[in-house]
Formats: sequence, structure tokens, C-alpha cells
Amino acid sequence: MLSTSARSDRSDPPGTIRVWHYDGVNGLRRAPVLVVDGDRFTLAENGASDGPYAFADLLARDAVAGETVFGLKGRTGWRIGFPEGVPDVLKPLLPKPTRYGGFIDRIGLWPAAAGSAVIAAIVVVIVLNSPSVLARAVPPSVERQLGDLMTGDFGDRSCAGPNGPQALSALVERVDPGDGDIDVRVVNLPVVNAVTLPGGHIVLFDGLIRKAVSPDEVAGVLAHEIGHVKHRDVMESLLRQLGLSVLLGGLDGHVGGYTNALLASAYSRDAEARADDYAMTAMQKAAVTPLPTAQFFTRLSKGEDAKGVGRLTAYFASHPMSHDRAAKFLASAKTHKGDRPALDADQWASLKGICKTDPEAQKKPSFRF
Amino acid sequence: MPYDSRDDKAFAFDGDWREFAPIALTNLLLCVVTLGVYLFWARTRERRYLWSRTRFIDDRLEWTGTGLELFIGYVFALVLFAIPFSLINFIALNGAMMRGHEGLAALIGFVMYLFLISLTGVAIFRALRYRLSRTLWHGIRGGSDAFGLAFGFSYLWKTVLGSFALGLLIPWSMTSLWNERWGRMSFGPHRFHAEARAGSIFLKFLLFYLAPIIAFFVIAILFAIFGVFAAMLGGFPQGGSEGGGAPPEGFMVILFAIGAAAYLLFFVVLGVVALVYYSAYFSEAVGKLTLGELQFAFTATTKDWIRLFLGNFLLVICTLGVGQVFVGYRNWTFFIRHMHAYGEMNLDTLTQSTTREPGQGEGLLDAFDIGAI
Ligand SMILES: [Zn+2]
Repeated sequence: MLSTSARSDRSDPPGTIRVWHYDGVNGLRRAPVLVVDGDRFTLAENGASDGPYAFADLLARDAVAGETVFGLKGRTGWRIGFPEGVPDVLKPLLPKPTRYGGFIDRIGLWPAAAGSAVIAAIVVVIVLNSPSVLARAVPPSVERQLGDLMTGDFGDRSCAGPNGPQALSALVERVDPGDGDIDVRVVNLPVVNAVTLPGGHIVLFDGLIRKAVSPDEVAGVLAHEIGHVKHRDVMESLLRQLGLSVLLGGLDGHVGGYTNALLASAYSRDAEARADDYAMTAMQKAAVTPLPTAQFFTRLSKGEDAKGVGRLTAYFASHPMSHDRAAKFLASAKTHKGDRPALDADQWASLKGICKTDPEAQKKPSFRF
Repeated sequence: MPYDSRDDKAFAFDGDWREFAPIALTNLLLCVVTLGVYLFWARTRERRYLWSRTRFIDDRLEWTGTGLELFIGYVFALVLFAIPFSLINFIALNGAMMRGHEGLAALIGFVMYLFLISLTGVAIFRALRYRLSRTLWHGIRGGSDAFGLAFGFSYLWKTVLGSFALGLLIPWSMTSLWNERWGRMSFGPHRFHAEARAGSIFLKFLLFYLAPIIAFFVIAILFAIFGVFAAMLGGFPQGGSEGGGAPPEGFMVILFAIGAAAYLLFFVVLGVVALVYYSAYFSEAVGKLTLGELQFAFTATTKDWIRLFLGNFLLVICTLGVGQVFVGYRNWTFFIRHMHAYGEMNLDTLTQSTTREPGQGEGLLDAFDIGAI
């Protein structure tokens, strides 16, 4: 058994201190004396001397059970320990141990925590708010390329039944006159929904068209999506998602995920409300009645519980409550005068059948490479 | 120095949770105010404490890793893998789907999935190598000369093969991967050798494997008995259609309660059975590990494992999550308490490791949110 023998039975010369030592070359625990020589020292054992080493090259390690331990710069495993504590004469020469690490040890725990909290708050505010500025700074051409990369030509899913595309263009022209930058398509999927993709691509799903009771209803949904395009909401939400996922990446998986969802959906609800406002203004200018759109939301709201749980979960939802949206569209109808149908009967029939009458789109989706 | 663990345990922990609490709580505070950036320094402080209070034979362990190297490793992994990965996922996969190329999308997804599995293997290997290289005992560290790429490939094919035959090869893939990664690790001049075998734990795996099926049948039978019982009492007609009347409310409540209890029981039973298997696996894996003349053993029983997990669970729940900061401490003390070593370690021949010291830490593991034991 190796020992760290007590010093009482020896009489060390003055200026020397008994230490234990690992040289990092093998695992033997040595018991040399440390001989101080100005700002340097040597380790002497059995007549042999090792060194000199500079006190400045020592690295403080954690003290364990009252033993102060030091390493040496550039020497893995090299250690000296002071079993009886560091003598007062050596204290000014030796480095202080790190506790929290880095700047926190320099300025103290509480100032560091307070300073970090302020910085964290600023970072959160910037990450949440910069996307709306940044999104507007992304050149439309770049956004368009990103959109093209994602959508392509929708393969053969984009419907083009007889006179369907013309009816669709007429509808777009009606709610958003003189804007050539928006690309609206109907895609053959039985989903009652519509999405806006980067670069002004709007996709209406065939399920929505088929369920719609009038062209005015489709016009309402379309105007809402155009509102997203005008506000560059898609780009903004992509950038915000990116920022949040990097920012919250350090947090534990679930906590980060929930926080991310909560923050992102709060901003998304704002964007949805803005798009609704845009839609109502556009429909008023175009003299298209918002009532069918209000009814559309009323139909959707049947599935929601407007008071209890529904209200609560609304904080996690990406969209405002359909009930509230229906009420807003209903109220906006009061300012309308001389509304005309968004499409005539023939155009509406063509739009309704845009996918059904398109033999290409009716083919079963195939696995293509 | 000959050493026999029968007289005196080779591994011992002499820390105290009250001594650890200030570390854990200030770590939590600093992690919160730095939005998680301090996590890497926090982990380092925690390990420095745990290692320094752990005695192996006649000397303490020392953790020499730094928070900065963990942080750099994480940033590297994020920039090199996680971000490109999510971009490919987002653009390529969405693009292929939108164009109606489901086949291409499936292919991209499949290739990325395989890549992710191999990367997981590399991450596990490198984390183990990093931890050994930052663990000091008698001034000597561990490490490995391998980079983990070969292990990543093994991890891929053994995981895929392990899931073949309805998952029955999983014990084989777990033990053989354990042997492979530990066989490439060393401490000082000595190489680890691991010869864990799947055969001895296969029966317990079978129990885990069959438990859901058995549980399902038991629950189905219970429901059937309850149904017959209720029908005999004349509660409501079995088919439901001929009587027309709605079942009495009390009946529905009981039915719902039984359903909820069965659901809960299912997961509790499955969790316990999983621990039966895992404790057998871990004992086998550690028990067949040697380092030079040293042999290791891990003696935690299934009951110990259940107590650990249940304790961690209650600790986190009862403190509304704050107790999470003590989970690492509990896991480490559990590990040390049940870890044994027998044999000899000769200090004259225990020379410094010649393996390359990895520059940074467990970045891959963090970037992909993988836990490791
Ligand atoms: Zn919207």
C-alpha cells in the first residue's frame, strides 16, 4: 500500500513543504517536498530533484476534503496536493480555483445572474420581433426561389379542368385586382383548407372548393391567404421558427418544444387576425359579400367549445377561435353596399369542377422519382 | 496493489446531497438566466463534484473536462449536422412531396433515417471516449484511438438486423454493441475487454417482449367477464340494438374506470418488465467487462432499479420539476453503490494513456438530444 506518510516524524528544512504528487506518466503516488525558489519551485524526493516549475504555470483544481490540488499547464495528470492546506507564504503565488467558470467568478454569482437575465430578455425580444423586419428584408426573388424549390409545379396534382383556371384567375383578379405576383392553384386533395407557401404561392385544396356553397365563400378564404402573402407572414414565421429552435435548443427537449409552440402560436394568431382584417377590407373594395365566409367559420366553430376548454386551448392554437372570426366577418357586412357575386354561374360551375373534370388530376397519385 | 473487494468495496461515494444542493441550485439559476447556454458549464460542475467524491480503491476520481469544450462540441454538431439536417428535411422532403414525388420523398426520408441511426452510434461512442479521456485516477486517464465511425456503421447494421425477426435479436444487438464499443476503450495502458452474451438475458427479454401481448389478453378477458356479469344482472342487453335504451350511467362510469386502470396498469407493468430486462442486461454487460487484471460487477436488482426510477419520478413531480437537478446525483450514487471491482491494479505498470485526447465533448449527443448511460 502506498502511503502519504505524516510529516511529524520528519524534520523538513525550512522553505520546503511536504506534498503528494502524481507525475502524469505513471500511477505512482509520490511524496516529495516542494522547495520554493522565488516564483519557481522544485520537487525533491530521495535525493533526486524534479523541476524547476513556475508557480504561474499551476492550474487550480477543486479542493476535496480540505486538500488543495493543483495541475500543471500542458501536462495531463500532473498533480500536486497539499494535504495540510497551502501555507500562507505560498498563497499569493498560487492561482485561485474556478467555481462557476469564466466571467461569473470574476464578477460574482448574483451580478452575473442579473446581467445574464437582462441579456436573455433582450435576446428573446429580438428573436421574437426581428423576423417581421427580416422577412421584409428578404428580396422577393429569393423568397420566390425558395417557394419554387418547395412547390415546383405541384406535379400533376394541380387541377386544370376546362375553363377552371380562367374562373380561378377571374376570382383572384376580383379580390386582388392588378397583382400579377400571386400564383393560385387548386390541388386535388380532399382537405377543407388552404395554405400560403413562400414566394406568393397559394394552394386551395379541392375539398374546400367542393364544400363551398358559393364563390363568395371561396373569395373570402382566398382574400385571407392573399393577406398572408402581402404581409410576408410565411417568411416571417419560417424565420421565427428557425430563431426559436436555435434559441430554445439549449433547453431540455420537452420544455423547449412547449415554449416554442406557445410563442410561435401567439404570433401566428396575430398574423391570422391581420390576414382576416386584410380579407375584410379587400372584400369591401371588391363588393363581395362576407356573409358566406362568416357562415364558413360558423360551420367550423361547431367543433369548438367557445367557453371552457376551447378558450383555454386557444392559447396553443395557431388560429383565432372560429366563433370570433365568424362574428367579425358578420359585423363587416354592415359596411357593404351593392355587393355582386364573386363569379357568375358558369364560372362557378367551372371552378367547382376544376379537379373533377381534369383527367390528369384524377389519375391516382403514383410513386414517381 | 492487490485488491479484493470482498473486504472493502472498491467503489465508494462519500458526497452528501446537502453539499451538492448549492451546486445544483446555482446551476439551475444560471441555466435559466442564460437561456440554457450555461448547461454545459453546469454539467461540468456537477461532474467535477460527483467524480471528486467518488473513491476507487485508494484514490478519488477527478473530472477534467471543461464547460467550454462541451459548448464548442455542441455548436460544431449543430452547424455540421443538426442544421443541414433540418434544412434538407424541410426543403427536399417538402419539395418532393409537393411535386407528388412520394417515391423520392420516401427515399430521401429513408436515407436520412439510416444516416441518423449511424450518427447516433458515432455520438454514443464519442461520448464514452470523451468521458474516459476526462476521467483521471492516480493522474492517469482513459480514452480510445478509434474515432467511432466504424462503430457508427456497426450500430447501423446491428440495429437494423436487431429489429429483424420481430425484434427478437435486440438482446444480441445490445450486447454485441456494448462489447464492441468497450473493446475499443482503454484506461492508461490497459484495454477494456467486454464479453457480454445475449443468451443469458434472452429469457428476460422474452418476458418483456411477451408482456404486452399477455397483458392485452388478460385485459380483454377481464372486460369479457365484466360484460357477461353485467348482462346476467340485466344491466343492459348485450348486442345493444334490440333493447334500444342507453346503458345506465353507473355502468359507463365503472367501464371507464376499468378502462383507465387497465391502461395505466399496462404501462406500469410494461415499465417494470422493461426494468427486469434492463437490469439483467446491465449486470451482464458490466459483469463481463475487464480491464487488465480487474473485473467488474454490477449488483443492482430489479427492485433497486425500480426504486431509482420511481424515486426520480416522484422527486421531479413533487418539486414541480425543480428536483430534476438532483436526478444526475441520484443516478450517479446508484451507479457507484452497485458497482464492484475485483482483482489487481499494479500502479508501477499503470502508465499514462497514449490515446489521442479528443478536443471537444459530447456535442453530437446533445445536438440530437440522445441520453446516454
Ligand atoms: Zn391564415
